[in-house]
Amino acid sequence: MTVRIRFFARFRELLGTDIVVDAQKNKGLSDLVKDVAGKNKEGYDAIFDEKGIFREYVILMQNGKRVETSDAPAIRVADGDEIAVFPPVAGG
Amino acid sequence: MIAIQTEDVDIGKMITAAKQRGTGAIVVFDGIVRDDDIREMELEAYEEVALPELEKIASDAKKTCNLLSVDIIHRIGCLAVGENILVIVVGAGHREQAYEGSRFIIEAIKAGVPIWKKELRKDGDRWVPGEHKHGCRAGK
Repeated sequence: MTVRIRFFARFRELLGTDIVVDAQKNKGLSDLVKDVAGKNKEGYDAIFDEKGIFREYVILMQNGKRVETSDAPAIRVADGDEIAVFPPVAGG
Repeated sequence: MIAIQTEDVDIGKMITAAKQRGTGAIVVFDGIVRDDDIREMELEAYEEVALPELEKIASDAKKTCNLLSVDIIHRIGCLAVGENILVIVVGAGHREQAYEGSRFIIEAIKAGVPIWKKELRKDGDRWVPGEHKHGCRAGK
């Protein structure tokens, strides 16, 4: 199944955006982001701490809806999902 | 009108368009690229989410503050010092509602709409830090 991952702002600069991943069925959201972010150490370190836990400021969305990062390990992604990962917003 | 766009806006036309029967006050908020020793500012949005969120904020503000009209234009792309970043035009029957509505909208945008700013500085570029109200729950 395919899942689209979109990084924004600083995360985009480090990891790219619009990344389409061929994910295994029942893949956890947290593991999916780790797999993709792991391709760039600086990008990974910006999103995850040394224990592999999402940093406090990271914001996650699944299909446009916010997801608590602490819930992400238990959330399964589905075919066609769009996952967004970004730092705190600063519009206005 | 609620929009995220690269083009600048004519604030005078927005004010004229906002006037309607019953309007007694219009408040305009114009967020501008400040000259903080920067060359330019780059703005980026998660548009598919940011636009519906702006529309919801406008709708909530109308109901909460009893507004007659709300227009929000948030610009993205590369902006020079002095350019408009965000224009909010709020129309209401009375000034109290218009001021309250304008404040409601700008605070809601800053709190949650997925838009980011990067300052292109003479001494190096810098992402403007946002507030850390989101993300994982404390201790988890």
